Order: sequence, then structure tokens, then C-alpha cells
Amino acid sequence: MNSMTPKLVVEGLTHYYPDEYTGESVHALEDINLELYEGELVSVVGPSGCGKSTLLNILAGLLPYKIGTASVDGNVIHGPGPDRGVVFQEHAILPWRTVAKNIGHGLEIRKVPQAEREKRVQEFIDLVGLTGFEEKFPHELSGGMKQRCQVARTLCADPVVMLMDEPFAAVDAQTRITLQEELNRIAMATHKTILFITHSVEEAAFLADRCLVFSARPGRLKEIVEIGIPREQRNWTAMNDNAIFIAARDRILASVREEVSIAVEE
Amino acid sequence: MTTAVGNLSIAIQRRFGRQRLRKIILGSIPFAVMIAIWHANTVFDWLPPVFIPPIGDVWEAIFFLQEDCAGFVALVMLDNSCLITTHVFSSVGRVILAAIVGLPLGIAFGILCGMSRTLSKFLEPVGVFANSISGIAWIPLAIVWFGVGWVTTLFIMLNTIFWLMFFNSMLGVRSVAKVYEESVLTMGGSRWDVIKQVYLPGAMPSIITGMRMSMGFGWRALIAAEMIGGDSGLGFMIFTSAAEFKIEEVFLGVIFISIIFMATDKYLLAPLEKWTVERWGLVWRPT
Repeated sequence: MNSMTPKLVVEGLTHYYPDEYTGESVHALEDINLELYEGELVSVVGPSGCGKSTLLNILAGLLPYKIGTASVDGNVIHGPGPDRGVVFQEHAILPWRTVAKNIGHGLEIRKVPQAEREKRVQEFIDLVGLTGFEEKFPHELSGGMKQRCQVARTLCADPVVMLMDEPFAAVDAQTRITLQEELNRIAMATHKTILFITHSVEEAAFLADRCLVFSARPGRLKEIVEIGIPREQRNWTAMNDNAIFIAARDRILASVREEVSIAVEE
Repeated sequence: MTTAVGNLSIAIQRRFGRQRLRKIILGSIPFAVMIAIWHANTVFDWLPPVFIPPIGDVWEAIFFLQEDCAGFVALVMLDNSCLITTHVFSSVGRVILAAIVGLPLGIAFGILCGMSRTLSKFLEPVGVFANSISGIAWIPLAIVWFGVGWVTTLFIMLNTIFWLMFFNSMLGVRSVAKVYEESVLTMGGSRWDVIKQVYLPGAMPSIITGMRMSMGFGWRALIAAEMIGGDSGLGFMIFTSAAEFKIEEVFLGVIFISIIFMATDKYLLAPLEKWTVERWGLVWRPT
């Protein structure tokens, strides 16, 4: 496959939605254009309410859109589908399935034969470090392990693009650092194309090849910051002294803060 | 001596488990007190046997009622000669039949209404209407429609079971976090996958509560229905025995009713709860 063909393409995406309480039309996104290439990890940051979660929901197929187009591998997005895997912020693995059954869920839905399924499930259990927890139920896992399980579930279904919606926002600070380093390792190992939504500038700069900064509402693509650090060099000990990382982080931070002050003034 | 008793007590505790033993003992005390008072009544002759029979008479009533039973075939065929088994089996049979029909129907409609706002707007008012009339209030009408017999009793039970199950399942589905549904859909799951893999297990705590409630209320409604609109069953037995002043048979019937219900709850519904919602960590359990 030609690596120069983008995996995910968004063109002229504009979105309005009715406010839940007032019913007024809210302008969430304005003319979003973006392309994700194979193996790339792109993060999206912006002030709260900038429409980054709206964008993810549209790409996941959970929110219908009218203006503009979004496509994966050339297929226009109409509703959810297995070509896009989602990692949610909340604990979204099913409490009534064991770790192994949760991770194999996508393959089960696609009716992959059991022998093959089990082999693949074990591979991803090992990849995210949940070996030995196969038969545990989610309530027996820590918050960090639940999120690893969710990442493994999404990867195991082998989507073209993995969409991550602030996946580490709900875990404690220590676990978050570990999970970020692990995601970096996983991205390196699987070469997945990943769109990563976050409100943490540090996280965005640490993980992303490119970071998209969104403006305050209506969300526009304000700035793209390239972070050219090889994945092998990305760990928190090294990154804290990495000039490229610091420069990128400060640039993103300044850009987001400008937008936050606009959002506050409104 | 004291150490021997101590050792025995430790051995018993090990065998049954401390908490379980505590539960069994504490739970038995009220029954033991009741039985003691009952027996004391006979010994001290407070109330005459016409009102409260001796325990021995109630025990003997089992054999008296079963006296003419003409062997195994008659027992299974619910022959009128085997009175006690016939009444027990016909009550239990109706409960099983009503459960087989009513529970799945209630769950299915409940899940559908939990999923669809439109459908629930359509069916919910009917449910509130039906629930406002207690099951037994239908008995006179049911007798007019179906006559005295098993159709009437079944109708009364179904009426009770279905609506309770319907409401509980519907509320259960509504309480399931949206993100579970979304995760199945984003993995390429169909509506049917969502129903099977998300709504049904997610609503399980409510569904089990619904089963407990509907079996409890259904069983009570059945006894009432059998008294007025039945021609067999424990309710019928109690009613006819009371009319003939066979008070020990009335006591026997009441005891059978509660034992059967307690057994259903303990050996069917409680294990189901343990196997599902407790294993999944969906209920909070005091330790």
C-alpha cells in the first residue's frame, strides 16, 4: 500500500448541534481539514468546548454530520464501523466479560474462528502487559489496567485508524505517565495510525508526531506543530531535557492559552 | 471439657464458614421462637386446637391426605387420590408455566421499551394502568371470561409477572451506561449484538430484582386466585380445608407455600444472582 495515501481524510467539516437545554444551535466545528498517514500519531488539543470530542464522535460514526466529508481508506464515514476503533475516556470495557473476552470482542463480532481469535487475544494481552489477568473481570482490575484492556480491545480488532478520546484523563498521575510511555511503545510496535484527543499539552507533545491545535468555539484548525522526535527516544526521563520536546510543548501551550483566554472572555 | 467444646466449635466454624454459620443461626432464631410458642400453645392449652392445631397433627395431615395415593403413576398423573402432591404439583406447575411464558415476555418488551423512547411512550401508560390494579382484582373478571380452572389462575399470575418484569427490565436497560453500547457499535456490532451483549447483561441487576419481585407477587396472586378461581392447588386446598374446619390442613398448606417460595429464591434466584451480577461486580456487597 502506498504510504503517501492518507488513511483518514477530513475535508471541510463544519458541524452545528442543538444545545441540550436551550435548543439553540451551537457552532461546534468550522471547516476542519486534516489528513492522517499510515503509522502516524496525531494529537488534537484545544480549550474545552473547542469541538475536539465532537470531531472524534463524528469520525467514530456516533454523530451524524452534514457539511463536509470524512473518510477512512477512501470510504466515506456513515455510522460506526470496524475500520475505526475507539478508546473512550470512561471505562468502556464490558463488566460482564472477562479481560480475554473483552479483548476478543471485536473479532467475535466479526465471527473470527475461536482458535485464531484466542491466538490474537493472547498476543495483545501480552502486548499491553495484562498477562495472567485473562480470566479476571473488569471490577478486579485497577483503573490503569482497565484502560490497557480497552487499548488492547481496540488494537485486537485491527482497525485502520485508532481514535482515542482523552483515554488517560481519568487515571492517577503516576499511572498516566506509565500509560503514555506504553502507548508510545505500542505505537512503535504496531505502527498503528492514531488520532489522540487530549486536553493535556504535555501528553500531546510527548506522544504526537504532529499536534493539531484547535481554536476556541467554533473549533478551527489553528496551528499544526510537528514534533520530530523518533519514538525510541520518547520516555519521560529523556523528554524532560529534549530541546525539541520543550520547544514544541511551549509553542502548543502558548497557542492553547491564547485560545483559552478568548474562550474565557466570551 | 471446655477445650473439647472449643475444638468442636472451631471444627464446625471451619466446616461451614464463620459468616455463613452466623447467618444460618441468626436467621433460624425467629422460626425457632415461633415454633416454640406454637408448641407451648398446645402444652399450656391457650387457644383450642380448632384455631391452632398441635404440630403433630399438621405433620400427620401430610400422610392422611396422601393416604389413598394409588402408587407412583397416580402421583405423577395428579390423581385426586394423592391430595397433597396433586395440590403442590399443580401450584408449582402453574408457577413454572407462568414463569416460562411471563418472564421472557416481560424481559423482551422491557428491553425494547428501554431502548426506544417512542415505544415506551406507547406502552408505559398501559403498564401503569395495569400495575395500579392488583393481580387479584382481576379474579372476578377472569372467572367470567375463563371459568374456574387453570386458565384463570394462569391469567392472574401472568398479569402480575409480566408487568413487574416489564418495568424492571425497562429501568435496567435505561441505567446501562451509553459507552458500552457505543463500544459495541464501533467494533462493528449490530443492534442485535447490542441487545445480547450490552442491554441484557447490563440490565441484569434489575432483571433479577424483577424476577424476585414478580415470583414473590406472582406466587401470592396464584394462591389467591386458586382460592376463588381454582379447582386445585395449595390455595384451593387451604380454602376448602378451612371451610371444612380442617385447620391442620390449612396450616400445612401455608407452610408448604412458604417453603416452596423460600426454596425457589434460595436455589434458583440467589445462585443466578451470584453467577451473574455478583461475579461481574455490579452489586455492592457488605463484607
